[in-house]
Amino acid sequence: MIDEPYRWVEAIANRREYIEHQLAPGSPIVALSYADGIVLLTLSRERQKIFEIYDRIAMGGIGHPGDIERLRLAAIELCSTEGFARSAHDVSLRRLANFSLSPALKAAFEQVYGAPYLARLIFAELGRGDVPNLFLRLDYDGSIHTNGGSFGRSFEEFGVIAGTKSAAERMERLLREHDATKASLSRAVRIAAEAWSLGHMASPDDAAEELPKRAVLKKHLDEQLAHAAVECAVLERSSTLPITWRALPEAETRAMLDAE
Amino acid sequence: MTERGLPPPQGAQDFAAVLRREGVLPNAPVVGANAAVEQTQATTILAFKYSDGVLVAGDRRATAANTIVYDRADKVLEIDRHSLMAIAGVPATAWEMARVLEHSFQFYRRTQLQEMSHEGKVRALSKLLRDNLGMVLQGVGVVVPIFASYDAAAEVARLYFYDAMGAQFEAADFAATGSGSPAVRAVLHFANSWGAKPLRKLKANDAIMLALRALETAASSDSATGGVDRRADVFPIVKTITSAGIETLSEARLARLFKGKLV
Repeated sequence: MIDEPYRWVEAIANRREYIEHQLAPGSPIVALSYADGIVLLTLSRERQKIFEIYDRIAMGGIGHPGDIERLRLAAIELCSTEGFARSAHDVSLRRLANFSLSPALKAAFEQVYGAPYLARLIFAELGRGDVPNLFLRLDYDGSIHTNGGSFGRSFEEFGVIAGTKSAAERMERLLREHDATKASLSRAVRIAAEAWSLGHMASPDDAAEELPKRAVLKKHLDEQLAHAAVECAVLERSSTLPITWRALPEAETRAMLDAE
Repeated sequence: MTERGLPPPQGAQDFAAVLRREGVLPNAPVVGANAAVEQTQATTILAFKYSDGVLVAGDRRATAANTIVYDRADKVLEIDRHSLMAIAGVPATAWEMARVLEHSFQFYRRTQLQEMSHEGKVRALSKLLRDNLGMVLQGVGVVVPIFASYDAAAEVARLYFYDAMGAQFEAADFAATGSGSPAVRAVLHFANSWGAKPLRKLKANDAIMLALRALETAASSDSATGGVDRRADVFPIVKTITSAGIETLSEARLARLFKGKLV
């Protein structure tokens, strides 16, 4: 079947449709810069979705837990081996994604007789010194989107993933309107939660449609918070140790969400 | 790179095994089965329990035979937020071992999403020493460390010393290894048994003074131990582990204590 080029394209298109369908109900994950580093936030019912990868790199994933786990372990191994053989300064998210993860994802996606990775990942890397924070989205087909440096787009201080393209675009629109780079952790958490709420609400097909009012977003968030766990972690610039990761206890995050 | 383009998962999540698979961790060279086993570890490190936790100290001298190679070596290494490893033996092997250990604990925490238990950490060092046996038998890589760590479950700081093959011993009050250790052990035993207070009751400043005095005693008879270099103002490394974590005592504080009481 797939020895004909047209059939191969068709098979890939089917596969893409299947994966998108599987990913669609995934709970969005928000990562954004605040005054003292990066905050990552999501709501989840069953399992942890935000993870520490290395001293200054964190990851969030939606998709099949088995595939996320494989990619997470591979990322930790690659970073740890590099950090051990050379130095923690040589570990870079750009290289991890470009040279190691992306080709593996692409190969698995395009070999139509094998299983693809059912996963969409968001990575965040805390910059050293004056280097800006890097947010990088890695998709099941190996494609990479970053928060800046590319043609026709200004640099952004956030990155999101969501089940659907339109949900992610609407979240990005909201985050563009709220600059959190100088915000306290508490305020950044509230902005992240608002963006999550927007991404989680059933979104119209047309991403350009008017965004809902804040009260609507808050109401939806409160409804979800009633029966889901809120997961939040930070990469802190002010950390006295090389390790910048800190997972926030749920009570601390909820207190911040109620602080308004 | 196998399974779908990614490295195969490590069942036991043993970082040393990952390094071996990637060819980053070297194996012992084999030259001859009967190479003389070098038993001396030219240095002095000590550790004892005091009122707040555990104090670990080491001199700064590194030697090769009768030559002083370096007088600012750091032999007390922080492995994680709550663990210290002090090393006597061949520096190349010892520092590499500390690095493997440090990365192993982080790797375990990141992959398994939980902190390695206190017992697990103690055992991890034991396993590294055992893996190093080939180097020891070649006479090129003997390492005899002291390991101190805060046991969060029992809320107490614990102290262990090892032999070159990896046997671990938990020290009740104090431990010392290296060429100057007989003198240090005598000083600590004396202080613990007949001093003004047993070691466990000592306040921080008295404990630091005792550590400096013990190293000075060792340095007075052992040429491979540095002690306090008065001209260059080089002091031993002194670190403490308490429930609050690890503290490295500043040279300024050591100098103040030392000049006030010792000279």
